[in-house]
Amino acid sequence: MLNEFVLELEGITKAFPGVKALDNMQFQLKKGEIHALMGENGAGKSTFIKIITGVHEPTEGDMYLFGEKISFKNPNDAEKMGIAAIYQHVTSYPDLSVTENIFMNHEIRHPTWKTLNWREMHKQARELLCELGSSIDPKAQMNTLSVAQQQIIEIAKAISTKAKIIIMDEPTAALTARESEELYRITEKLRDEGTSIIFISHRFEDMYRLASRVTVLRDSKNIGTWNVDEISNDKLIVAMVGREINQIFPDKKMSAGDTVLEVKSLSNLGDFEDISFSVKSGEILGMTGLVGAGRTEVCQAIFGITRFEKGEILLDGSPVKSRSPQEAMQNGIGYLAEDRLEQGLVVNWSIEKNITLANLSELSSYTWLHRAKEKEQAKTFGEKVQIKATSIFDTVHSLSGGNQQKVAVAKLLTKDLKVILLDEPTKGVDIGAKAAIYEIVRQLAEAGYAVLFVSSEMPEILGMSDRILVMKEGRIAAEFVNRGVTQEMILEAAMGEEPVQKKSG
Amino acid sequence: MEQEKQTYQPRTLETQLPFSWKRLFFQWEWMLLLILVAVLLFGSYVSPYFLNYPSLRDGTMVFLDKAIIVFPMAMIMIMRDIDISVGSTVALSSVVMASLYTTAGLPMEVAIVACLVTGAVCGLINGLLIVKFKELSAVIVTLGTMILYRGIAYIILEDQAAGGFPEWFGFFGWGYVFGIPFLLIVFAALAIVFGILMHQTTFGRKVFAIGNNPTASRFSGVRVDRIKVIVFMLAGLLAAITAIFLTSRMGSTRPNIATMYELDIIAMAALGGVSTAGGKGRILGVVIAVFIIGYLQYGLGLINMPSQLFLIIVGALLILSVAIPKLGSMIKRK
Amino acid sequence: MEIKVAHTENPKKNMLTLFYQFRELGLLFFIILLCIGVQMRNPSFLTGENILDLATNTSILVILSLGMMIVLITRGIDLSIGAVIALSGMLTAQLVAANPSINPLLCLLFGTIIGSVCGIVIGLLIARVGLLPIIATLALMNIFRGLTFLVSDGEWVSSYQMSKGFVALAGGSFLGINHLIWVAVFFCLVFFYFLNYTRTGRQIYAVGSNPQSAAVSGIKQSRILLLVYTIMGGLSGLCGVLWVSKFASAQGDTASGYELTVIAACILGGVSIAGGSGKLGGVLLGAILLGILNNALPLLNVSPFWQNGIQGFIILLAVIVNSIVKRRVDRTHSLRRAG
Repeated sequence: MLNEFVLELEGITKAFPGVKALDNMQFQLKKGEIHALMGENGAGKSTFIKIITGVHEPTEGDMYLFGEKISFKNPNDAEKMGIAAIYQHVTSYPDLSVTENIFMNHEIRHPTWKTLNWREMHKQARELLCELGSSIDPKAQMNTLSVAQQQIIEIAKAISTKAKIIIMDEPTAALTARESEELYRITEKLRDEGTSIIFISHRFEDMYRLASRVTVLRDSKNIGTWNVDEISNDKLIVAMVGREINQIFPDKKMSAGDTVLEVKSLSNLGDFEDISFSVKSGEILGMTGLVGAGRTEVCQAIFGITRFEKGEILLDGSPVKSRSPQEAMQNGIGYLAEDRLEQGLVVNWSIEKNITLANLSELSSYTWLHRAKEKEQAKTFGEKVQIKATSIFDTVHSLSGGNQQKVAVAKLLTKDLKVILLDEPTKGVDIGAKAAIYEIVRQLAEAGYAVLFVSSEMPEILGMSDRILVMKEGRIAAEFVNRGVTQEMILEAAMGEEPVQKKSG
Repeated sequence: MEQEKQTYQPRTLETQLPFSWKRLFFQWEWMLLLILVAVLLFGSYVSPYFLNYPSLRDGTMVFLDKAIIVFPMAMIMIMRDIDISVGSTVALSSVVMASLYTTAGLPMEVAIVACLVTGAVCGLINGLLIVKFKELSAVIVTLGTMILYRGIAYIILEDQAAGGFPEWFGFFGWGYVFGIPFLLIVFAALAIVFGILMHQTTFGRKVFAIGNNPTASRFSGVRVDRIKVIVFMLAGLLAAITAIFLTSRMGSTRPNIATMYELDIIAMAALGGVSTAGGKGRILGVVIAVFIIGYLQYGLGLINMPSQLFLIIVGALLILSVAIPKLGSMIKRK
Repeated sequence: MEIKVAHTENPKKNMLTLFYQFRELGLLFFIILLCIGVQMRNPSFLTGENILDLATNTSILVILSLGMMIVLITRGIDLSIGAVIALSGMLTAQLVAANPSINPLLCLLFGTIIGSVCGIVIGLLIARVGLLPIIATLALMNIFRGLTFLVSDGEWVSSYQMSKGFVALAGGSFLGINHLIWVAVFFCLVFFYFLNYTRTGRQIYAVGSNPQSAAVSGIKQSRILLLVYTIMGGLSGLCGVLWVSKFASAQGDTASGYELTVIAACILGGVSIAGGSGKLGGVLLGAILLGILNNALPLLNVSPFWQNGIQGFIILLAVIVNSIVKRRVDRTHSLRRAG
């Protein structure tokens, strides 16, 4: 019985100043199993990985590897003990070769001279990649490879360290359906060879497809571990979010007016092709598809951030050309960026300055800024979206994810817009705040905006949209009127091999 | 369920901050004022001729000419860029002005306009290159133009000096208006203009936004590239103004004037609290820092201390001013 | 939009990619063209004597460029090297003036140690305190330059105060080839080995290419940074001794502004200021190109006053052309990735 578990965590706690990132964590990993780890953002998953891989040292608790108590001072220790991690954002060295990426920090060296043995490394790299069923050139530079290929290199790297435990942190997040399938195949192969895998993913399909057991983290604690075939989807969601979610979506009121935004066969080589759709005033058009299907690219092209090669964008029937976000907003198009912290907000700034940033010209005469007007506007729109804060001077980074998103929405409201493009507005937002954002989105539509609602989460697409577009590999794969549409129908369109023609359900 | 209920409660946001002593006094500018007082006391200790109004007033003429450039430099550093070509721009504008007057025989007024245009064009070239070739970074671009601009100055004047300007031109460097040096008046005016520009206009707000988060700024409709080009052009233009004052004070010019000015200017800005990582800084702090470094130089000059000592002090001040906040947060973490 | 994952062939190479991968070839091609042009105007350019002369005069630049390359690879920059050269040169010259009988090799060691100490100070400020390299080295450039003036009190150390043996350090030759060239060749070999065949050498690239990733894979970034600036300082100290020996005088403003030439050589040689990339061959060619310009312009009767301008222009041109080519290569990459 002692050796049934390759890795055991006993009461691991990790405290950072002010927060407990991991609280009394118990965890057991069997040999040759794929163990799914699930939980909302901020539940403690990444701290968990960092403890196992030796990036952080636990504040309390013990770790046992093959029944022996261990402690890691740094990532090298963990690597030597056979633990490897593949991170969410590929952490490769873009300027270096494939071989080097695979062997970084455990290079093959001449036994006496300690010089690097490139020939041997290239040879082994080729063999490793071959084993994984890939023929990537080991001498190729990393930044010439696709994300999926880089992912494979990361796996090869893990194998090359003779890892017995591999942690995969959302490896499928940026992959297409077919690429994910390839990854599943490799993961199963590793499992069959006796490697234990901790697989972290937001996608339920990953878990059902691969894992035999699942552990759910919430609020830095282990909520429970189940066999995958013993737990229902609903129970899992309850475990993840802490209560049942029903009726968080506001009622739909179909009161669509005239067509406001019309996109005609928009194309940009390599990003998206032949995208046509229209949104009416008062309507929420859902847009979904796997990550990497080209949704963000389409939004950014409409918003003037990136160029497109072919096609036309019509607003109220007349063609518009936005060469910059500034022009797009003047034309009446607003965009809520997917990456709130990097693209949406100035996090070091106060709520006030963030809300007014897009609308400074309205608040000034001859560029002289009217402070009183600015405060008033920040207060008006901040209260309209119900930001949870004491004053408009609170810095944005002190707010929760949901409230940060509300600031970003308030910023859009200051402009005189007709169309609002929302790119994953609930990403990384807790469930309570999600409901508030849904309410705001619905109110926007009722106020007469044409809303394009981009999301990867099926329930919210189904719960919010009046119509649904499904994108796949840069094209629109299907369009549904949201009546009786099911998750399966959308998934089939998003992942299926055959191009799906326009359907309505 | 409680969470959900909270979300729908009407909420108000305060628009007035309660008064706080900590906020009033926990400012870098107070620290700078203390240092300035220390410098003045030190000056009066080492030289009896230092601490009186005429001395302090005329002392400003020694250092204020280059300090003019510190305003746009602060903006550039706030935007996470740097401009190390300003010294060369001063030299080139000055040489163009002098040679147009002496060699080409144009009227001095025309030469002065040409000087300003030269400076602005130098800045414009910097700005355009930086915006068009983002991967090069401002360091590389201005390093290249630094060599290029001074090189052109050498091509024009070789190793000659050019001078013999009309008498009225000396007014810029030596003139007084109502008993106050003209340079000091210009500096004060520029300080006010830039103070307003940076802290009270939409332009300044956008500069800070770019320094804090360039992508979010662009996504919020800020024309990042255009603002960068304008600021770099301003740097060139003010470098040309510096060239006028400097040339006037020295009475002649050479291609090697204003060497290493960029260092003093960057040091003034950094000491003044402009964050070298971008996004932070105030004109008031920068102005105090100018006087700290300037009076230190002036005081050391009065007692014939080697000017090399001044180099060391500026270097040390620069390191201290950027290291103290870092060390502070390092200690806090422990 | 077919996306192949596991069965990719070797990346298709087009001309542009090829040019970029072997951009050293482009530089070499340019150098050859330049040489042919110069030779046609002045036949005394490609004579054995002039070539040796050129090599001797470029050696110090080559040595310093090697150090600057590894600094740039870690996303840093070192503006203080001119001042370190001056400081180590001045102290060594004073040592020689005081003890004429001192072994010249000891002088080299002395200068290298002084330079290394300077480098350690810079390295600590950057790696431990976390100052931006450009600010830290700008400040220390001032301090080192000021120290040089202070220790010399504004006086020069001139050739008559230097021992014969000391002047022979940079003036003498071995097998008919100047010592400086030997030293430069030696360091090229050492760096080639160090960067390509040691683990630490590759970690320098790793830190520059992706610092976060280097941290999670257990590479000690601050150790690497400290090492890199110490090496740079040590090389500058060594070059300070060679410089003083070569020109037989030590002054307060020795090598003033030389850091820019060194950085220019690296950038011409394709080292990216954004870190992570840079090859020894490229840097060597970059330094040689600048050396040729310095040597050839007088031969072509170009006024010395034009040299600065021409240098600045060529540097800007080179980085811009490089950036345009890279942009197009990246675009073809992303297209290939997508389709």
